[in-house]
This record gives sequence, structure tokens and C-alpha cells, in this order.
Amino acid sequence: MAHFVELKQVKKIYQMGEVSIPAVDGIDFEIEKGEFVVIVGPSGAGKTTVLNILGGMDTCTSGEVWVDGRDISSFKGKALTAYRRDDIGFVFQFYNLVQNLTALENVELALQICKDPLDAEQVLKEVGLEGRKGNFPAQLSGGEQQRVAIARALAKNPKLLLCDEPTGALDYNTGKAILKLLQDTCREKGMTVIVITHNQAIAPMADRVIKIKNGLVSRMELIEEPVSVETIEW
Amino acid sequence: MVRRALKKEFYMEVRKTLNRFLSILLINALGVAFFAGVRASKPDMRLSADAFFDESRLMDLRVMGTLGMTKEDVRAIEAVEGVEAVMPVYSVDMFGQLLDRQLNLQVMSKPEEMNRIHVREGRLPEKKEECLVDYKLFTSGLCALGDEITLASGTEEETEDLVNQETFTVVGAGTTSYYMSLDRGTTGIGSGSLDGFLVVLPEVFEQDYYTQICVTARGAYELTCYTEEYDALVDELAERIEGIEKERCEIRYAQIQEEGQEKIAEAEQEVADGEQKLKDAGEELEDARGKLKDAEEKLEDGRRELADGEAEFADKEREFLDAKQEVADGWSELHKAQEKLVKATFEIQKGYESYERNKAELDAGYAQLAPAKEQLAQVEEGLAAAQGGLAQVEEGLSQIAAVRQRCEELSQREPESLTAEEAEELAVLLEQEASGQWNGAEAELKEQQAELTATKTQLSAVQAQLAPVVAENTAKLDAGAEALAEGKRQLDAGSDEVDAGNSEAYHAEQELLEAEEELADGEKKLADARAELADARKTLKDAEEELADAKEEFADGEAEYEKALAENEETLADAKVKIADAKEELADLKQPEWYVLDRQYIQTYVEYGNDADRIGAIGEVFPVIFFLVAALVSLTTMTRMVEEQRTQIGTLKALGYGKGAIASKYILYALLSSLLGSLFGLVAGQKLLPSVIISAYKILYNNLPDILTPLNPEYSLTAAAVAVSLTTLAALAACYKELNAVPANLMRPAAPKSGKRVFLENVSFLWKRLTFSQKAAIRNLVRYKKRFLMTVFGIGGCMALLLVGFGLKDSILHIGKGQFGNVFVYDGTIGIDKDAEEKERRELADKIESDARIPHHMRALEIAVDAEAGGAPRSAYLIVPENREELKTYIHLKDRETGEAYSLDDQGIILTEKLATLLGVTEGDTITLKEDDTKAIEAKVAHVTEQYFMHYIYMSKDLYESLYGETPDWNQWFMKNSRQDEDFEEELRTEYIQYDAVSDVDFISGTAERVADMLKSMDLIIYVLVIAAGLLAFVVLYNLNNININERRRELATLKVLGFFDQEVSAYVNRENILLTIIGTGVGVGLGLLLHQFVIQTAEIDMLMFGRAIAPASYLYSVLLTFAFSALVNGAMFFKLQSIDMV
Repeated sequence: MAHFVELKQVKKIYQMGEVSIPAVDGIDFEIEKGEFVVIVGPSGAGKTTVLNILGGMDTCTSGEVWVDGRDISSFKGKALTAYRRDDIGFVFQFYNLVQNLTALENVELALQICKDPLDAEQVLKEVGLEGRKGNFPAQLSGGEQQRVAIARALAKNPKLLLCDEPTGALDYNTGKAILKLLQDTCREKGMTVIVITHNQAIAPMADRVIKIKNGLVSRMELIEEPVSVETIEW
Repeated sequence: MVRRALKKEFYMEVRKTLNRFLSILLINALGVAFFAGVRASKPDMRLSADAFFDESRLMDLRVMGTLGMTKEDVRAIEAVEGVEAVMPVYSVDMFGQLLDRQLNLQVMSKPEEMNRIHVREGRLPEKKEECLVDYKLFTSGLCALGDEITLASGTEEETEDLVNQETFTVVGAGTTSYYMSLDRGTTGIGSGSLDGFLVVLPEVFEQDYYTQICVTARGAYELTCYTEEYDALVDELAERIEGIEKERCEIRYAQIQEEGQEKIAEAEQEVADGEQKLKDAGEELEDARGKLKDAEEKLEDGRRELADGEAEFADKEREFLDAKQEVADGWSELHKAQEKLVKATFEIQKGYESYERNKAELDAGYAQLAPAKEQLAQVEEGLAAAQGGLAQVEEGLSQIAAVRQRCEELSQREPESLTAEEAEELAVLLEQEASGQWNGAEAELKEQQAELTATKTQLSAVQAQLAPVVAENTAKLDAGAEALAEGKRQLDAGSDEVDAGNSEAYHAEQELLEAEEELADGEKKLADARAELADARKTLKDAEEELADAKEEFADGEAEYEKALAENEETLADAKVKIADAKEELADLKQPEWYVLDRQYIQTYVEYGNDADRIGAIGEVFPVIFFLVAALVSLTTMTRMVEEQRTQIGTLKALGYGKGAIASKYILYALLSSLLGSLFGLVAGQKLLPSVIISAYKILYNNLPDILTPLNPEYSLTAAAVAVSLTTLAALAACYKELNAVPANLMRPAAPKSGKRVFLENVSFLWKRLTFSQKAAIRNLVRYKKRFLMTVFGIGGCMALLLVGFGLKDSILHIGKGQFGNVFVYDGTIGIDKDAEEKERRELADKIESDARIPHHMRALEIAVDAEAGGAPRSAYLIVPENREELKTYIHLKDRETGEAYSLDDQGIILTEKLATLLGVTEGDTITLKEDDTKAIEAKVAHVTEQYFMHYIYMSKDLYESLYGETPDWNQWFMKNSRQDEDFEEELRTEYIQYDAVSDVDFISGTAERVADMLKSMDLIIYVLVIAAGLLAFVVLYNLNNININERRRELATLKVLGFFDQEVSAYVNRENILLTIIGTGVGVGLGLLLHQFVIQTAEIDMLMFGRAIAPASYLYSVLLTFAFSALVNGAMFFKLQSIDMV
């Protein structure tokens, strides 16, 4: 169990009456600590399901999910929530900010429940939103909102930062900037970051690329020399 | 909705969102149920009453005349158009003695066609000596079948002038629709309030006119009472009856005048009779006095006779005793004399012996002397013979001389003067002379004389010789003889004496014996006399006693007479005054008037109507809350539903469906749910609520037999229409916005509502202190304003309802608690019998004053009065304490709000609060107090005091005296006892009720208990309110929470993703709900207070004043219950939250 994250034959099968629909059909992969991982695959390949399972938002039908030496697939209810709360940071395509809270408050919202949080303002500063911390999400641009979301995830000081299409709703430049932020966070803080995207183009910026197709890992490659996101064009 | 796909989709929608469908249905049902149910209560109450009135044929009108009603009046009224039936009635308020209780009863003639008695036990009276009593007296345990009730007049009128039968056997008990409640109204007799009615046969009544004529109006039966139609019909008939009033009254007036004159004449005759009787009685008494005097005199005679008899008897007795003594003395003398006689006899014997001896000696002496003596005797004889011869010679001589003289005499006289005899004699004599006879005889005689003289001388010589010797011896012998004779004589005398003594002694003895015999007789006679005397004495004594009795009797008679005289004089004087009064009255007699009274003059009818109106008033407000909430809930629910289906709407639009087709789903959804809900609510509400409410009122109107709760079309339609249209409109309004948007817009998710700073953030010192979650919660609250308002309204409504429920109970309980804990702080009262004599009162006072169990006690006057201040009079009790300073020991007079204590002064009276409110007076105003129609005084209101139960007026003794001009006739004792437990009070009661002066013993605890019992019924209403509040809270909160969660699903999912535990997610939401609950509760307190005030003021009956305040505990209960309901809903939401998918 040397790997920081290891998935073993993880399956997620939805039972619709008599029909079984496998969303994830036996995925195996492993991730090392501090890696910037990109999971790519077409729509419906099951990458989000994998991420949800990894992030403790969903449970697998079978298989093992090892994170930092613990099999979270055996977790239920409260333990799973505790796992999410202490070990995982999430960034969504649509930011999922609480509209009624300012940028700072959205970050603080996450901090309310953490054991070892970072300073909210500091994190906001790090994501470049020092000046917008008192704004409500509706007053922020998409990129800014995503930054808030990232800041919220980071402030929890998680073991894993999981990002589900973080740039999906953003324009090209903003998306790039967000990816940069994520890459920098990984590099500077040694944070393990997993990004889901359907954009094959950004794969080179990762330490590890996992390609998923039809609920299976079709290919996993390690990149010796990842490039900076600025250099990638798509 | 013609298209199958849409139909199917609608069907699926309902199935999928059954929760929502049902919640709309339920809230509509609730709203409609409350609206229709509470509103229908008023008509249902009227209807129930109407059915009762119709069934018992309660009169629509009654006609009373100031001078009573006659048979002719009955006929005249019967003939009035529109009159269906008439029934003349006798009724009079009298005292009824039932065992040891005196009741104020309304005695009325057995009704026939109308005002039927509903017999609950036994049967109606059929004989004159039978009666049916008020069922109330049965239920209160005062009376049972077979009891006897004795009636007595309660006024100055004689009982026999009112009824001809005084004692009745109870054969039944019943109720009348005339009295629906337990209250029997007031009366002019006794304590002033009626205890019940008594039904007897009409023949029992002595009056020659009817008290009233009951009338039913044609067509009124079909109408419902209390309605305008009914009132109009009856009013019209009343006017028609009033139309014949004048004519009838004139007739009646004339009749009364006539009757009055007759009666006055009768009364005058009676007075005259009475006077005559009195006079007769006086004469009789005088006779009796005379007789008594005679009897006394006779007695005196008898007494005197007796005294005489006694004196006589004493004399006789003394005589008898003397005689007895005499006899005894006689015996003793006799014995002495006999002794002497014996001695004398013996001596005389001796004397005789010596005499015999001496006699013999003497005889010898005489024998010696005898020859001498003989010689001498011869001598003397010769002498005597000589002497004799001589004497003869001399006589012859004298004779011759006498004849010669005669002859001469005759010859000398004239021959003519001689008688024939003398002439003859003369002739003889002259012849004899002539013959010489006389000369020869004269010579012879002279010779003889000489011879004799010679012999005599011879003999005298012898004698002289012999005589001395003899004489000497003889003298000696004679002396001896003499002495002897003397001795003998003495002896003889002694002997005679002895003989005489003996004879005498014998006689004496004989006499003594006789005397003794006589004595015995005397003794017997004395004994007889004594017995006779004793008899006489006894007779006398008897007579004396008799006389004493007679005297006493007479004295009694006299006293009686005096009394009767005084009384009669008074009575007669009174009667005369009365006659004068009557005359005056008759002269003053006004034209009689009729009072045509409809049911508005029946106390319970009016009260019941008022109560129905009150419920109606509550029905105006209460259900509106539910309706508002229902409408709001429907609106939000539908809005949410449409919002949720935004994409679908967009899709359908994009597909080319028209607005109508799309909207029809939501409208139908709303229509169906609200219609079903309304129907359910209609039936449930109109069946359940009125019966609950009327059941509660039935405790007051216990006679009301059945509760009718028909479905009221008006309210049903209104409520359903309002509910359905509100919900449907809400759906339409919700759709409207979405339907107008372009499909592309609709396909995109709606932009989430942006966050906003709240006002509170500007107050940074406060904002800073809030925790993060609190800030978030506050901001969320402000963000969802609709939810905020609705939740606050819903919770506020729930809180308000609970508060009203509990508050109502508090207010009502306060009547008891406030009244008997704060105002009436005495423990009980002892009523003084108004007929009690001064001695009995004194006795009672002494007992109370010396009773250690009653440390505080005070006398007071309590009378029923009518208080008036321009408007309608109100019955109240006037209390005059003997000592105004002491009153506060028993009754606290104080301002309800400020608590300022009042005390009585000589200036004004103190009114109780509700009375002041009803009369519309405040401090400084003047009100009129009437005890009856004749006595009315005016008094100034000094203060208004706290009071909850009945109306009281307090007045100081001095003020009473100055206003009424008399000292109060104390009729009550206030007590404050050493203990208050039941046993103690029972003991006290039993002990005191035995006093003649005590009419009743009452304890506050009993009254308080009764009030509490009476008000227990309110629990039912409180349950209804609590349940309604719970339902309201649940429906509203559940709905809103549901919407809230659905709306914020994403946000909550984020929280979950962030690693919030379920509890923390719940807390995040619940924090808002708790805040909302707190705010809602706060609002609910305000709302509840307002509603509570409204409800108690509308629901309050005139006699009571509910407490105005709600107890802290009620706030607590209400808050706790509201919180509990809220918590319950939030608890249910927990699972919903749990089920939120993060994915």
C-alpha cells in the first residue's frame, strides 16, 4: 500500500429494475502523493462517478478505494462525511458557491467544520481575490467564482483536491488561469490534485494522466516532464 | 389537456408529488373546514334552537296587560289576523317550601298548545294537588319524585288569594324551551332570583284574570328564529295585536273600575263587620267580667259562710269541750257528794239512836206531869166554855140592836122612796117590834151573862193555883222536848238532807249519764260538722281555683282582646287606609296598557342568540387566518412547483404547446387538490366544528336537546369557491411569468437568487459578535422573504391560536381564581333569615362572635338591585358592610390594572368593572339604583373595582342611610375561617344551618368549584384550538420547509460535499427555522394577545368578566407547543435532508 491513492476494481452499477447499468466497471489506478492528476475521457465514460466515489460523495458497488492507507469504500454515512470534511476538497464545474455568502464567507463556510483550516483571507489572497472577498458570488465573474470555490476547497487543507470540469463553464483564458492556479497549488503546496476534464489537450500539464472509457481505465501514463499550462494551447 | 401525453403526464405528476398534492389538499381542507365550520356554527346554533322551539311550540309572542288579561281578551287576540293559536296562562312567583329549603318558584299553569313542557321524569300534573317541577331542581338534587312542595306567597298578598291549593306532590320533572340555560331570571320575591318553575293545573290559581296570553304566529313555525324573516313576521303580528290594544284596554278599564268599586264596597262592609265583631267581642268580655265579679262575690260569701261555720264549729267544739269538762267535773263532784252522803247517813243513824234515848227520858217526865195537867185542862175547858157562852150572849145582844136600828132607819124615810122589798121588810120589822120579842130575849140574855161571869171567877181562882206548877214543869219538859224535837228535827232534816242528797246524787248521776250520751251525740255531730266544714272548705277551694282559672282565662281573654283590639284597630285602620288608597288608586287608575312581547323578551332566547352572534363574530375573524395561510401556502407551493418545472415548461413550449395547454396542468393540479380539500373540509368542518362549539355551549344551555349541523350551502359554496379560486389563481399567477418567457431562457436553469447584505451587517458591533452560522442564517432569512413571511405567519398563527386557547382557559379560570383568590377573599357567608326575630339574630350573632373557628366576621346587607344609567338596567347586588374599614378583610376593592386599593367613603359607591362597562359609566358619573319599582336612588360612582363574576355595588353604611333614609337591615355575615377544608366547612354548615336565624350557609370554595366545573367545558374548545394550531403549524411548516429544501437543494448538497455531517446540515437549515420559529412565536404572541382580547370580549357574557391577562404558564405552554410542532416538522425534514443527493 505504498500508493497515496489506489482504486482496485471499483465498480458502480445502477440497478434500474431488471436492467443493470454499470457506470464504472472495474477501475484500477493509483496516484502518488503530490501528483497533479488529470482524468480524461468522453462524456458518460464514468469519470465523474469515479471522482464522486473517490471524494466520498458516492459509494462504489464493489471494489476498494484506498486513500492515505484507508479503505474508504468500507466507509458509511458519518465516516464518509468525516472523510470528505477532513481529507477532500472539491471544485465543481458550476462552482457551487453559496449565493447568500460573500466570497470570504464561502471560504469560511468550509472552515467551520475543519480540524486544521488555513486562514480564509490568506487563501483568498493566494487565489488572487484579495480585493473581492466581500462580494457575493453573483457579483463575481465565473473565473472569480471558481477561484472562490478553489479557495474554499484549499482552505480546508485537504489531502486531495478533486476538481470536476473546473473550467467547463469558463472561457478559455479564465479556464487557463484556473488550471494554472490548480497547477501552482499542487506544485507549491505539494497538494495532490485530481482534475477531471474531457479536454485531452490539457493532459500534458499533469504528472499522471488517466484515460477512462466506458467505465474502465483505458490508459494510464506518467509524464516525466509536465509542462506549464501557459504553454498549452487548445 | 386533451392530449393523452399531457393527461398521462398530469397523472404521473400527481402521483410523484403526492406530498405536495396532499399538502395543498390538506391546507385547503383546513382552511375551508375552519371557515365553513366556524361560520356555520352561528346558523347551526340558531337552527338547533329553532328545532327545539318548534318542537315545544314556543310562543312567538306573549301579551301582558298592566291589569291582566281576560277571557274576552283571549278571544279578541285569537281573532287577530295572523294569529295561529293563543294560550292564556296564569303564573305567579311564590315561595316553595321543599323539605327545609325555601325556593323562589315561578308557578305557572300547565301549558297546552304551546310552550310545551318536555317531561324528563314522571308525568305532567293531572290533579289539583299534583305538580311538575323544573328538571333543574332534579339535577341539582333538591327534589325528587314524590316530594311535597308547599307554596307560600312571597308578597303582601295572601297565599289563598293566589292559589287554592298550597301543598303539591311532585309527579314529574321537565324542561321548557322558555328556559334554555340554568338561569331562571329574576323575581320580585325573596332573594330576587328564581330557582325554578312549577307547573300546576290552571284550576289552582285564584286570580280572576290571566297573567299573560301566549300567541303563535301563523307561518312562524316554518321560519327559523333569530332570522330577519322571522323577526319581520312576528313584528307584523305584534303590531296587529297592538292595534286592538286600545279598544280592549278601555273595556278592561271599565271592568276594573266596576270590580274595584264592588271590592271597595265589600271591603267597607268587611271593615264594618270587623268593627262590629270587635264590639261584640268587647261586650262579651264585659259580660264575662260581670260574671266573674258575681262569681267572686259568691265566693266571698262562701268564704264568709265557711268562716262563720268554722267559728260556730269552734264555739260548738269549745262548748262540747266545756260540757265534756263539766261532765267530768260533775262526775268528780258526784263522787265526792256520794262520799259525803255516806258519811252523813252514818252520823244521822247515830243521832237517831241518841234521840230515841233522850225521848224515852222525856216521855217519862211528861207522864209524871200529866194529872196536873189534866186538872188544869179541865179548868181551862170550863173557862173556855164560860167564855164561849159569854161571847154568844153578847152577839145576840148586838143582833137585836142592829135590827132595831134598821127598822128605825126605814121608818124615818119617806114611804114613797122605799122599794117594794124595803117596804115589805119594814112591815116585818114593825110587826116584830110591835110584838116585843126583842125585849124578852134581851132580858134572858142578861141573866145568862151574870151566871157565866160567876163560874168564871171560880175557875180562874183554881187556875191561878194550879197553873204555875204545871206551867213550871211543863216548861221544863217542854224545853227538854223542845231540845229533843229540835235534835230530832235536826236529825230528820239531816236524814232528809241525806235522802235529798242521795236523790240528788242519783239525779246527778242520771244527768251525767245523759250528758255523756249527749256528749257522744255532740261529738258525732262535731265530727259531722268537721267533715261538712272540710267539704265546704274544699268546695270553696275548688271554687277559688275555678275562679282563679276563670280569672286567668279572663285575663287571657282580655289580653287577647286587647291585642286583637289593638291589632284589629290597626288592621281596620290599615284596611280603612287601604280602602282609601284603593279608592284613590281606582280614581288614579290609568288606562291599562298591553305589552306585546316577542321572544326578544325571553332572557335565554336573547342570550343564546347573542352567543350565536358571538360565535358568528369569532367566525368572522378566526377562519380568515386559516384561509390566508391556506392561500399563501397554496401560492408558494404552486409557485415552487412551476419553478421546478421550468425546464419542462420550456421544453413543452419549445415543442410548440400553447400556453393554455401547458398552464392547464398546473391549474388543474391546483383545482383538483383544492377542490378535493375543500369538499373534505366542508363536510368535516361543518359537521365537526359546530357540534363541538354547540356542545360546549350546551353546558350553558343544557336544555337544548339536539345539535343540528346541516351542510350550509352558502358557506360551503363561499368557502369552496374562495379556496379553489385562490389556489387556482395562485397556480395561474405562478405560471404566468414562466409562460411568458422564451423557451431558451426556460431551458437554462434559473439564475440563483443573488445574495444580499442585510441591514444588520451595518450594525457591525452586533454583526461581528454573531457566529458564522448565525450570520448565514440571518442572511438566508432575509433572502427568502416570502418564506420568511409565510413561516412567521404560520408559526405566528399557530402560536396565536395556542395562546388564544390557553389564554381563554386562563381568562375563564381567572373568573374563579381572580374572583375568589384576589377579590372575594372571605371564606363564606351565613345568610340571615329575613323573618328571624331579634332574639334569634342576637343568638346567632353571639354564636358567631364566640366561635373560634370564625376569627373574622362582619355583618353586611346584600340585596339585588337594578342599576341604570340611561340605558338598559342591569341586575346587580348591592353590598353594604357594617364596617367599611373591615370590608377589605373580606373583599378587596382595587383597580384591576394599577392595583390601587379603594375604600368606601360617604360620597360615592364603588362599581364592579363589568357593570361599569355595561352601563357605560366611569368614576364621577351618577347611576340610578332601583330595588323595585318604587324605590330608586341615585348615587355617584366613586371608583370602579376589579370583579369577574356577577355585578356588585358597594356602598358605605352611612351613605346607605343617607340615601335610603333607613338603617340597613343586615342579612348576611361574612366569614373568614380558621380552616378551609371541606370537612371543616361541612361541619360549620351543619352546625349553623340549625339556627333559626340562618337561612343559608355558603362557602366560597363551593362556588369557586362550581365555577371551575362549569368552565371545564372550555377544555374542549381549547383542544380544538390546539389541534387546529398544530395542524396549521404542521401544514405550513412542512410545506415551507419542503419548498425551502427543494429550492436550496444545490446549496445543501454543496454543504454535504464540503463534509457537513447530516446534523450539521440540518442545523444549518434548522437554525433558520428556529429563528423563524422564534420570530413567528414573537409575532404570534402579539397576534394571540389581540385575538385573545377580541375573542374574550366577544365571547364574554354579561354576567361575567373574563380575566384579561394570559398566565405566564400559558405563554410557556404555547411557546413549547409551537416549538414542539416546529421541531416535529424539522425532525421530519431531517430525513428529507439526508436523502439529498450530492451527486
